[in-house]
Amino acid sequence: MALLEFTNVSKHFGGLQVIKDFSFEVQPGEIVSIIGPNGAGKTTVFNLITGIYAPDEGDIRLESKSIVGFEPHQICKLGIARTFQLLRLFLNMSVVENVMSAVYSRSHSNLAQIIFQTSGFKQEEDHIRRTAEAQLRFFGDALTSVFEQPVYSLPYADRRKVEIARAMATGPKILLLDEPAAGMNPNETLEITQLIGELRSRGGYTILLIEHDMQVVGGISDRVIALDYGEKIAEGRYQEVATNERVIEAYLGRKHNTT
Amino acid sequence: MQDFLAQLPQQIINGLTLGSVYALIALGYSMVYGILQLLNFAHGDVYMVGAYIGFGVLTALLPLIDTGLWPAMVILLMILAAMIGCGLLGVGIEWFAYRPLRNSPRIVPLISALGTSILIQNAVQLTLTAQFRVYKTEKLIALDSGLRLGDLAYISTTRALVILAAIVLMIALTYLVQRTKMGRAMRAVAIDREAAATMGVDVDRIIVFTFFIGSALAGGAGVLTGLVFPRIFHTMGFNAGLKGFTAAVVGGIGNIPGAMLGGMLLGVVEAFTTGFVSPTFKEAITFFVLIVFLLVRPRGLLGSTALQKV
Amino acid sequence: MSATATRPDESSANTLLKRFTAIPLKWRFVGFITLLAIAPFFTNNNYILRILGNVCMFSTLAVALNVVVGYAGLLDLGFVAFFGLGAYLYGLLSSPQLSALINACLGDRASAEFLFIVPGWFSLIVVALVSVGFGLSLGSPSLRLSGDYLAIVTLGFGLIFVQLSNTLDRVEFPGCQQPLNLTGGANGLLNIEPLRFFGFELQTVTHYFYALLIWMGIVLIAVHRLNQSRLGRAWRSMGEDALAAEIMGMPTRRLKLLAFATGSAISGVTGGIFAAWQGSAFPQNFSVDVLINMYAMMVLGGIGNLAGSVLGASVLSIIPELLRSPELIRMIFYVGLGAGLMLVKPRRNGLAVLIGVIVFGLIVKWIVGAAAPDLLSGPTLKVAAESISTAFERFSQQFGIFVQGWILLLKDSTLIGNLAFVVLVPALIALSRLKASRLKLIVTVPVLYLLAFVWESRLTAEPAVTRLLLVGSLLVVMMIFRPHGLLGQRKVEIA
Repeated sequence: MALLEFTNVSKHFGGLQVIKDFSFEVQPGEIVSIIGPNGAGKTTVFNLITGIYAPDEGDIRLESKSIVGFEPHQICKLGIARTFQLLRLFLNMSVVENVMSAVYSRSHSNLAQIIFQTSGFKQEEDHIRRTAEAQLRFFGDALTSVFEQPVYSLPYADRRKVEIARAMATGPKILLLDEPAAGMNPNETLEITQLIGELRSRGGYTILLIEHDMQVVGGISDRVIALDYGEKIAEGRYQEVATNERVIEAYLGRKHNTT
Repeated sequence: MQDFLAQLPQQIINGLTLGSVYALIALGYSMVYGILQLLNFAHGDVYMVGAYIGFGVLTALLPLIDTGLWPAMVILLMILAAMIGCGLLGVGIEWFAYRPLRNSPRIVPLISALGTSILIQNAVQLTLTAQFRVYKTEKLIALDSGLRLGDLAYISTTRALVILAAIVLMIALTYLVQRTKMGRAMRAVAIDREAAATMGVDVDRIIVFTFFIGSALAGGAGVLTGLVFPRIFHTMGFNAGLKGFTAAVVGGIGNIPGAMLGGMLLGVVEAFTTGFVSPTFKEAITFFVLIVFLLVRPRGLLGSTALQKV
Repeated sequence: MSATATRPDESSANTLLKRFTAIPLKWRFVGFITLLAIAPFFTNNNYILRILGNVCMFSTLAVALNVVVGYAGLLDLGFVAFFGLGAYLYGLLSSPQLSALINACLGDRASAEFLFIVPGWFSLIVVALVSVGFGLSLGSPSLRLSGDYLAIVTLGFGLIFVQLSNTLDRVEFPGCQQPLNLTGGANGLLNIEPLRFFGFELQTVTHYFYALLIWMGIVLIAVHRLNQSRLGRAWRSMGEDALAAEIMGMPTRRLKLLAFATGSAISGVTGGIFAAWQGSAFPQNFSVDVLINMYAMMVLGGIGNLAGSVLGASVLSIIPELLRSPELIRMIFYVGLGAGLMLVKPRRNGLAVLIGVIVFGLIVKWIVGAAAPDLLSGPTLKVAAESISTAFERFSQQFGIFVQGWILLLKDSTLIGNLAFVVLVPALIALSRLKASRLKLIVTVPVLYLLAFVWESRLTAEPAVTRLLLVGSLLVVMMIFRPHGLLGQRKVEIA
């Protein structure tokens, strides 16, 4: 049974057809990458899955249950978490609070318990804190010293890690990572590639990835899906897709005969 | 029903008069929001200052009217003085209270605007006292002069003047925005500030210019108001500003023809409410309209839904 | 970032504040409450106790506002309506008004005149519940509207509230014989019953002060705990980036409504206590001025900072009272100016300007005194010099005379004062935009003198207007130089 099914989805904005009859699946434990030139509709796919937009046609299912029409926070609770192309952290909150906030949907203390500081509430707070710290420790001890610092004071690569930790803290079945290697230097790119692999091996997450950097894509994807103008133009292992003529055309343009 | 139809034309005239003023105020709001995404709370107080400037000019020139100065000239001077004075005031406000905050979180310039509004209101109260002033319109225009439209309605010269003046100003503005280089630059900055800057537009200058024009229109509106509703006081800017904003929203904020349309509509709605329902709901109806629009059609009548990339 | 505006160097003020915030929150809280609690033992002065009562009341309101604006990031400009609703509802229930309503409705169909007054404590419960409902309904537009639009809609609601409270004194209700007087109109609701708890009736200022103090304490603890929980984190996440919060599993719609409900519940109950205290409720108790005051308190302390709201409320409740006494006004102004100059670094610059202003004033007075003595009022330079050596008890009085002797006081000060004011405003603005340099120091001298002149000639004569001018200036200046308030942290926003 596929974990995530994206079936015959179409979406338009005004006069622009952004996604055209697009279908794909993600099996549990896979790392799947979506590639394509800018404007191909990749982030829109993420937005559709997470419920920011509703598809005009088609269906999206998580563990065979349709999630179309649910609100984003409900979809998150069902097990889908994501990061954003341009980081969207809660800048003025501390590193650990950013991650703790994502445990909201898995916690239950109500107003009365909070105001009267019942033992149930205290236990849960403790648990939330430990969960958040555990997610941050996934990235090694690098972030431990900055737990209490406001997240805007962190360097870019570390902020990316915090965003991923935050997504992990929601306890998802599948992680949607939107260009996790964007803006990184070669060292950081290598680090993030390894990290994504570890997310699967150590963390057990299924991963759906949008990426431009082919080193990352080639480095860890089980499968690659290529998108252009909202349509799937290729699917398969990295080698096949990377050498696919249509894919090359989409990125580089059609070869013209020179005279 | 008879009664309603009989009064209808008169109320329409009243509505257009009010609407002209609201449209002029709404334009300033819309223009500033279009380029800065800022609600200039102090805009209504600029309008109030305009009314006072007009009063000052009128009082100074009154003795000259008796010695032959044309009333038309006086009115023109009043409007010009208010427009220039308020234009400069608007520029000053932008420079001091908003420019340092261009990159601050949204709430910061909003609060600065609130503070500026309080400052202007109370500065006027301090120097000119809370005593209301009265425009001696009768010295300029004979109070009983006007046009009889058959049996149905009567439009006084003053009201006709207000409507006409507003139309002239709006036509001038439309020409400016659509046909001149400045206008094109203004529209560009409103759509995408950064792109306009990379195209060589001096964004700061355009912003200053926009504030000048918007505030000048409000100043003119102040004088026109004074001519028709002769009592002016230092808190008149607050209500008028709110109505101007409502009109801008109704028409589609950031949209210039929308501001004009919204203003006229709001004026007519208010006149109808006052005439046919009850004067007590005059103010409430404005807010009611505002709330309904914001909930049902936030982009206004002529505005377009801006697609935001997530 | 303001490129050209120079800021007064904040180091000294900053270190002071840093040391203050370093003290653990619990201690500051206990200390503050204790100080307030023992105050009535040191003074019987009702005036002072009333001010302290206001401090408690406005602190509570500012904290409630902070939940909506500071935590959840919802710009509610009609917040004062929650306060007003609580007051009017309490007033309606716990006064003869309710009975009058029923009597008016039944008219002569009733056999006898109805007289029933709901006991205060029960009214408060009703107020709390209704306030929650009101908060939820007012909050529902917020689900669809973003920042600026929400601000205007809520502002509209706030104004409608004042409007309605002014005009709902003759409401034709179907089925009722006479028009109903719901709000007392412009004359307000009167004869509101005092609060009674377990047989004890709150009558004096001291009683209500303690009631408000206890209520404030409860609210502070509750809100603090809410903030340090998953709810507070969710609110603040939503305030930072509502979309990201929603995607991370936080139900933003519910959270927004909850924020409104919390803010309105707190304000409503506070309004009820206020109505019981004042014994009446008038439309102008809940006007835009009051709202602006509440915002100023929150902004001064730092948006999103609990302790800041209390600090801001305390400062802005006490200072206007000090403005009522001309001697105190004078003291505050000059001491404030002097302290402000002393906080500027390097110290000697501030000192130089201070001395420069004094000398400048002396010279101006001397020249005018020699050239046109008829224009002058107030003591001469000679008397000013003598006053310095007077005893400490009469310090403030003598200080006053000294200043009035130093400053240029004219017999007819209104016109010149107004002109000076009109010159002062652009002068201050221009000064603030000058780059730090010797020129700036030199120009500061006459401008500060002008400021003192305007203060003496006009502002001391109009305390109400002055207060609003100060609030307006405070808001603008704070936003430009220190948007995070006194106790808040510098904030960053995604462009």
